[in-house]
Amino acid sequence: MNKEIILSAKDVEISFNLRGRTLKAIRKCSLDLYKGETLAIVGESGSGKSVFTKSFIGMLEANGHVTGGSIMYDGVDLAQYSKEKEWMTIRGKKIAMVMQDPMTSLDPLMPVGKQIKESIEHNQGLRGSEAKKAAIEMLKKVGIPDAEKRYSQYPHEFSGGMRQRVVIAIAVACYPEILICDEPTTALDVTIQAQILKLIRDLQKEYNMTVVYITHDLGVVANVADRVAVMYAGQIIEYGLVDEIFFDAWHPYTWELLASLPQYGEKGKPLPTIDGTPPNLFNEITGDAFAPRNKRPLEIDFVEEPPYFEISPTHKAKTWYLDPRAPKIEKPQIAKEATMKPMGKEPAVFDEKLVEIKNLQVSFGKGRRKFVAVNNVNFDIYKGETFSLVGESGSGKTTIGRAILRINSASSGEVLYKGQRISGKISKETDRHLIKNCQMVFQDPMSSLNERAKVDYIVSEGLINHKLYHDEADRKAKVDNALREVGLLPEFSSRFPHEFSGGQRQRIGIARALVMEPEFIVADEPISALDVSIRAQVLNLLNDLKKKKGLTYLFIAHDLSVVRYISDRVAVIHKGRIVELAETEELFEHPLHPYTKALLSAVPIPNPTLERQKELLVYDSAMHDYSSDLPVWEEIKPGHFVYGNQRELDHYRKELQK
Amino acid sequence: MSNDKKDLFRFAEHSIEDAERIGFSDYSYWGSVMHNFLKKKSAVFMLILFLFVVIFSHVALVIAKYDYSSLRIDYDLAFQTPNAEFWFGTDNLGRDYWCQVWYAAQISIRLSLIVVLGESILGVVIGCIWGYVRSLDRFFTELYNFISNIPTIIYMTLIAMVVGQSFTIMAVTMISIGWLGMARNVRNLVMIYRDREYNLASRCLGTPIWRVLHKNILPHLVSAIILRLAISIPSTIAQESTLSYLGLGLGIDTPSLGILLRNARTDFLNRPHLLFFPAVIVSIVTFTFYLVGNAFSDAADPKNHT
Repeated sequence: MNKEIILSAKDVEISFNLRGRTLKAIRKCSLDLYKGETLAIVGESGSGKSVFTKSFIGMLEANGHVTGGSIMYDGVDLAQYSKEKEWMTIRGKKIAMVMQDPMTSLDPLMPVGKQIKESIEHNQGLRGSEAKKAAIEMLKKVGIPDAEKRYSQYPHEFSGGMRQRVVIAIAVACYPEILICDEPTTALDVTIQAQILKLIRDLQKEYNMTVVYITHDLGVVANVADRVAVMYAGQIIEYGLVDEIFFDAWHPYTWELLASLPQYGEKGKPLPTIDGTPPNLFNEITGDAFAPRNKRPLEIDFVEEPPYFEISPTHKAKTWYLDPRAPKIEKPQIAKEATMKPMGKEPAVFDEKLVEIKNLQVSFGKGRRKFVAVNNVNFDIYKGETFSLVGESGSGKTTIGRAILRINSASSGEVLYKGQRISGKISKETDRHLIKNCQMVFQDPMSSLNERAKVDYIVSEGLINHKLYHDEADRKAKVDNALREVGLLPEFSSRFPHEFSGGQRQRIGIARALVMEPEFIVADEPISALDVSIRAQVLNLLNDLKKKKGLTYLFIAHDLSVVRYISDRVAVIHKGRIVELAETEELFEHPLHPYTKALLSAVPIPNPTLERQKELLVYDSAMHDYSSDLPVWEEIKPGHFVYGNQRELDHYRKELQK
Repeated sequence: MSNDKKDLFRFAEHSIEDAERIGFSDYSYWGSVMHNFLKKKSAVFMLILFLFVVIFSHVALVIAKYDYSSLRIDYDLAFQTPNAEFWFGTDNLGRDYWCQVWYAAQISIRLSLIVVLGESILGVVIGCIWGYVRSLDRFFTELYNFISNIPTIIYMTLIAMVVGQSFTIMAVTMISIGWLGMARNVRNLVMIYRDREYNLASRCLGTPIWRVLHKNILPHLVSAIILRLAISIPSTIAQESTLSYLGLGLGIDTPSLGILLRNARTDFLNRPHLLFFPAVIVSIVTFTFYLVGNAFSDAADPKNHT
């Protein structure tokens, strides 16, 4: 793999000025890009992965500056560029970028074809109808059907995945040598994500581009990368070939990052976690930035910054563990044999129904604009289980959760809680009772906490509403207790939410629900907005609480990998309808519905060997012929439900017998 | 590397609590507001100047050679320029201008503070309900359209003619119109924050509406409300001047800066002192509240806190 280096960054330092304070976002980062290869940069939010790559094309925000180092590309030092004019010779022409959110990187008032044409005219020098032809060609190439017609449509007429394809078309239309993809699939659904990744790979081969992926998803890394750079606190702490990083990592951060993935977890056992949060880069960092979170730090980690130690010609890591003077360290074996293996132990048996959902339908709007979000859904949640609802955005999974908590009202059907109807009109008494017993944990810890209230108030809000305390001291004790229970320090109660990191905020949100001592919690994608290193903390916490307090969860997710680790039963929902429901292992071992299969095949596994062999299935709802043979919701095997017509069900039965 | 570092290569303690502690700072909201505000030197200076004017307006009446209530008309003394006897000179009727100006300043500042306070309390309360309770949105919108379509002058004229002219009537009338702007402003802001997820969380916890408004929404509006409040103080003084100028303001016997300005207007080229003194005070008040309002609302915006 000794290839030509196309771009070489050396000791790059980038600082930002924020209200008179200096934030050192990048602290001496070095990186080589090889021609035709794919490099994945992994790191948590705030680790500087985006900032670092933006400096390659001069797109730092106005208050950010490259304060040191060099970025050599094509014999020129890009770090010395300061004028837009200079950047225009590189940006878009030689190095192009695909951003995270396709909606914000397209002009909503311009037909997409024109936007691609603009890029072609600007960079290839084609004009008029020739450029248009090239643009349509490009649209076809990125897999947009009906390209001629789509050419004159506007971005809002495209779905998220299609929009991202357009963005890629614009970026690739100028035949860049380097394509930087900044979390290109984070805003997309899993099945779409797999398709986009494949598209980028195909285009890379065709145009012999070098691709840089910025991502926090190690599954994506395993799927796409030739080389991996792991970033932490503004530094690349480990750099190597993908197999070296996954199977022979040396930095403790990389170890713990891999170990904390729920895909490697064993059901019923807590996940290994990384304590704490990434450091505040406003502060001066001495020694190894990871030291305070490292479970086995060396004393020198707190005193002196480690240099790079070479492990192989392609693999280096920045840790004192590799110093010859360091004590012998047992390297944890993590990803070696890690697969999507069946995860331990027989499924527990639950018999008491806590929540029953019968023919639930939820619709929004009226008349012509009526939209059915949840269509005739039936399932029960048993006391003490974790019931997962998996589906893509817009599938109605959140709406079901909110309908149970009566935030959205059911338009027909009913919801029973302990055998008592709770949808529609209910008495004040029942209402109070339900509020106390059913709580919700929200997806985005940034927006689900009131920025202007202290943690103390946020956590005790429920207590105050229901007068669940005797006196001030009792309330304080309860708050402290709830905070301690979620692994936070009681002293945090006098602080405001914005002082906390995402994971800590999410735990505050859990404490807020917990203080009510509920029986049932709807957890609406509680970890999807969190950084990888923090997800494990929250998952463990949810599992712990379930064990200690006998809680029941409705766990809403779009990510099947997490679901397998945490849930007892899983329901897969597609376009407002549940298509399959079974015990977790049953569903993962014998998926029946084609949508479930597609979803399973699309989940990126954080194991490069497996990812290379993976076959992608695509689901198209047009494959069902429900014109004469109407579909039903059928228990095809005890505990395993699937949605299909008789012909399909017969087919599924045969499949099960195999 | 020297040898003495060798002993550093052993395992150190790992504390979960320390790992949790990284990355946050000491912070108090109002502390931060004050800190940011005090950095704006011009605003602080104007605020001090304004407070001095307010205090001095009382002191000035005590040390004055003439008492406002016992001023007598004496045409011989008309239009004196400032001198040792009449510190600010005299007006067209030969009355001491010093005590008139300071008395008027007191009245005007008091009126504008009362009016602004009244209209913001009314405006915020109504604005919150208007913005948060969906079913009332239509009602308040129509009410707003109805009231705001009647020109203020007509409304004020009617009140002045039917009810009368006095300090209290003036204040009440101005409040009864002034809340509209504040309410609409607050309503629009409330609608931005209304559907935030944390309000949903509060709903799940069964928090009553008034506390959602008071704890979840109002604190976010502080900055905008302060700005609006500060800007409406000068505009209240201006409005009062307009009304007094038209003879619809305070009674004849109560001087206000508006009335003084009106009287001085006719002849200010020959006797600039008559316009100068009240104009300076009006300017100080206007500038102060403009600067202080801006500075304070910036300081109160959590986005500007580090």
